[in-house]
Amino acid sequence: MAIVSRAEGRAYLVPLIGFLLLFLGFPALVNLIYSISTVGFQNLRSPTITGFGNYLAVLQDRSFWKATSFSFTFGLITAIAECGIGLFLAIFLAPLLAKRSVLMAPLMLPLMVAPAMIGLMYRLVLHEFAGPVPYYLFLWFGDSPAFLDVNNAFKTLLVVETLQWTPFAFLLFYVAYSAIPLDVREAASLDGASAWRILWLIDLPLMTPTLVIAFFIRFIDGFRVFDNVYALTGSGAGGSTTSLSIYIYQAFFKDGLIGKAVAASVVLFIASLAVLYGLNWLAGRRRKAA
Amino acid sequence: MINALRWIVFAIAALAMNFPIIVTLVTSFKSARELSSNAGLWINQPTLANYARVLTQTDRFNIYSYLLNSTIAAVLGTGLAILLCLPAAYAIARSDVGRRVMLPLVINLRAVPLIIFAIPLYMMYQWLGLLDTQIGLGLILTIVNIPLALVMLVNAINDVPLELDEAARIDGASSFQAMVRVITPVIRPALITAFIFGFITAWNEFLFGLMLTTNKAVPMTVGASFFFAASGGGVQWGVASAVMALGALPPALLGLLMYRQISGSMTAGAVKG
Repeated sequence: MAIVSRAEGRAYLVPLIGFLLLFLGFPALVNLIYSISTVGFQNLRSPTITGFGNYLAVLQDRSFWKATSFSFTFGLITAIAECGIGLFLAIFLAPLLAKRSVLMAPLMLPLMVAPAMIGLMYRLVLHEFAGPVPYYLFLWFGDSPAFLDVNNAFKTLLVVETLQWTPFAFLLFYVAYSAIPLDVREAASLDGASAWRILWLIDLPLMTPTLVIAFFIRFIDGFRVFDNVYALTGSGAGGSTTSLSIYIYQAFFKDGLIGKAVAASVVLFIASLAVLYGLNWLAGRRRKAA
Repeated sequence: MINALRWIVFAIAALAMNFPIIVTLVTSFKSARELSSNAGLWINQPTLANYARVLTQTDRFNIYSYLLNSTIAAVLGTGLAILLCLPAAYAIARSDVGRRVMLPLVINLRAVPLIIFAIPLYMMYQWLGLLDTQIGLGLILTIVNIPLALVMLVNAINDVPLELDEAARIDGASSFQAMVRVITPVIRPALITAFIFGFITAWNEFLFGLMLTTNKAVPMTVGASFFFAASGGGVQWGVASAVMALGALPPALLGLLMYRQISGSMTAGAVKG
């Protein structure tokens, strides 16, 4: 039986719930009200509710759908790349890392540096005159692509994001892989299973929950990307790198379209909830099936 | 043979992932003259001039103020998050309250794009006079830190044997006293890990720093970008690199010192979520 009574337990939850209500609940409510109002910086405190015009404006805005498709594609491709490379590194390097754990440090370092900083750093890395990548490309091949122009910015960002966050997927997979009991593998190996069969029939199935979770975390983080994209391209390159987060930021700060920005926030919120609950539902079904 | 291949793959991965950090460090030691002729990865005449400039010529961009703002806001945000999460985690681990609804709800917060709340928070801060203040930034960083702090503390308390609380209760301690005097000391390593991990996360946060500060409370992540927009003569790459190196250093050092604990807690937070 529980050692702390329900009443006491509730009391202990109060500070956290209060804080969350104040800093997330209240803003969520304001979002909802503003999204159905005609609102400008003059009537912030007394918005007049006028209906769903803001939502219509957002849903009819082509750049909103462009941003949505950027976010979705970006999240999907980077999640696949990060998990694929991370899985390979985790399994292939495991014998090396098991003996020398200090080798983990350089593989984790990118996770400790702010994505915004990494974005700024790539401005240097890719800079036409000061950056080593164009420098060596010119030196060796006599030519270097414009990494951040309309045609290449998206691809460049995919690589930047993947290089920074592959360590995250790698880390999850390495821990999951190391947790598989050795005797399971030994038994299979004694029964004559090849290394490939052990990988396919034992290791990967045992790692599936981690694989699924890592994929979704990376997809969601890629979907809502802001920091490194904003720092690297400032959503420039002809709007080809505007993520949904950046779209909302710009609608509010650059264009002052409060109603539209807020309506887009609510749409994004509902979409996130749908993804989250879909995921939980899937996880629940998995658990029942298992 | 295959081991040699492993070393090669490791070297390539480590180099590729850390490439921007390496380039930034190298560039920060190049003189302006050398930079204009040599964009490669070697330095002919290393110099500390860029660091000297960043640290002494603070009339336009005051790096000390950015570093201080980041430190204050990160400490405040992390400390408050842990203070709020500790009793909640205790309740979730030791009573029937909060485990089924509260915990998953807070964990899911980690996946919600925070920009959603940014606009009303901006207005709220305007009304409350919290825009461009260290406290205001710290309060928002608390939100950023809560999901992982809660998971880490719940896991830590779950690992503490119930007998410890029971013994304290039999000796006449209230549940609050048991939490403060018995549980908290036992989970101190988890508290320290949660604090360091939260500090790194908070230090590296960018969006709210960008939106909610303009001048007095600008954190390092945002301040660093000012050096790129500087003067009409284009970016001074040596100086900008020194700034980035200094801004990335505190979380990187903390992370490297604690990488074992951090990898453990990070995966705990992710997988059990």
